Amino acid sequence: MNLYEKTATELSDMLRRKECSAAEISQEVLERTETSEERIGAYITRCEDVMQQAEAVDKAIAEGRALHPLAGIPIALKDNISTKGIRTTCASRMLENYVPPYDAAVTEKVRRAGMVITGKTNMDEFAMGASTETSYMKVTHNPHNPEYVPGGSSGGSAAAVAAGETILSLGSDTGGSIRQPAALCGIVGLKPTYGSVSRYGLVAYASSLEQIGPMGKTVRDTAMLYSLICGRDQMDATTVRREYPDFASALSGKVQGLRIGVPREYFGDGICPEVSVAVWEGIRLLEQAGASVREISLPDTEYAVSAYYIIASAEASSNLARYDGVRYGFRAKHYKGLTDMYERTRSEGFGDEVKRRVMLGTFVLSSGYYDAYYKKARAAQQRIKRELADAFRECDILITPTYPTPAFPLGEKSDDPLKLYMSDICTVTANLSGLPAISVPCGKTASGLPMGMQMMAPAFSEQVLLNAAYAYETLCGGFWSGGTVI
Amino acid sequence: MRMDIQHIAKLARLHIEAEALSVFEKEMETIVKMAEHLPEAEDALLPDRETPMQLRRDEAEDGKFTREEMLMNAPEVQLGCLAVPKTVG
Repeated sequence: MNLYEKTATELSDMLRRKECSAAEISQEVLERTETSEERIGAYITRCEDVMQQAEAVDKAIAEGRALHPLAGIPIALKDNISTKGIRTTCASRMLENYVPPYDAAVTEKVRRAGMVITGKTNMDEFAMGASTETSYMKVTHNPHNPEYVPGGSSGGSAAAVAAGETILSLGSDTGGSIRQPAALCGIVGLKPTYGSVSRYGLVAYASSLEQIGPMGKTVRDTAMLYSLICGRDQMDATTVRREYPDFASALSGKVQGLRIGVPREYFGDGICPEVSVAVWEGIRLLEQAGASVREISLPDTEYAVSAYYIIASAEASSNLARYDGVRYGFRAKHYKGLTDMYERTRSEGFGDEVKRRVMLGTFVLSSGYYDAYYKKARAAQQRIKRELADAFRECDILITPTYPTPAFPLGEKSDDPLKLYMSDICTVTANLSGLPAISVPCGKTASGLPMGMQMMAPAFSEQVLLNAAYAYETLCGGFWSGGTVI
Repeated sequence: MRMDIQHIAKLARLHIEAEALSVFEKEMETIVKMAEHLPEAEDALLPDRETPMQLRRDEAEDGKFTREEMLMNAPEVQLGCLAVPKTVG
């Protein structure tokens, strides 16, 4: 098996046993990217110093220095995570040439651990989308079938891992943007509890909902990366001060006594039967291994998508007000006066989906509509949170599909924003309630496209979540048997 | 409900071309319609007490960035300052 096909865990062990060097790993990943990137289009920016980063790790190993287990492992970062000296575009014309003068908190941690940053991955513009098609920069293709979308908004991060163009990646998840592309590309993606990972340096879209999270080929890989990035950061006041375990080493794979809730609203109209059957097969596997399963009802789920789009758009309209062509980013060439410069800069710099959400947010916060829309959405959010809290009194985890369907063909939904919004039904509740949720591969359709199973748990119960996911991975014989998907 | 896209765009500091107005109008109306089934908000919105924020000390940090670093992404710089169109006569 080629090195780029291996998991981070395997490569970390090989490095420790000196069976390969960090330079060899990076060299193989670079060569792989050379051959596949034209078909995949996962990266917006590829780092030129990959080999130098890897050689620095090899030097540290040769000197006998104690290194983080992820030292020398290649990682790609979504292009809304600030990287000092590396262009961070958010896949927008607005930030096409923006080079941050600082690292995001997670970037600092990745660098300090000695991970090798391979590049910045494609995404929906400002993370607004679910197919990576709203990117201003390029099209990203699903590695399982290049005619299909990779999902989004972290589509580049998912495709890069699935195609062997990196080993691990970071995405961000505001309404499903880590879990959904993970499901559609056949990898693992974790949306952590709100407040467990610093958002310092994450370009803001909807600050009360979004979290940065890890993506990998296996649950253990994902757990290792999560352990690296979580923790209190004084630069993000919403991060919580608490002790986090070493998630990977605490994986037991045992589910005896685990109480699984299966909310029937997540298996209703619009859920593709093939997905529903695959997820139920996964649930039955866990049941046979000793978990107890009960069907439950979460009726307030019907408000989730509406509440999500109102709250997220309201926050987006405020967060994106900073793009005015003055301090950084794009400025229109032709304008008459200051106000016209603002308007033309924003109109030429933003794509249609961003404009739509900024206008929706402006509308729901505007005089006369706040009570009718924003306030009702926030109230619905509180109902959803309460309902989930009640459910977790009787269940340890909830299991649902991650996405109603497998990947869809490129261009199929790009003219129908509402259709795409409605498909977020399974993922947005975790964001609205701040809960952790993970997507794991759950088999493939008859046409060979991956499907995803989502597990959700109470706040800061990532260990329970990762353990259940690991148990499922073990029971189904592993998600990653090696070999590339294209 | 009919939406005045031009007015909303003005509030959002966006300029929408005339030929795109009807498309945005139709899409926005459909999206807003989706939100109309939300239940009435019975109570006042409560602050989130589960995740209280822990603010850092309000102290300026000198020397974190140089002036050049702060200006390197600016669309227009004159004499070490951000330049904008003239606003007063």
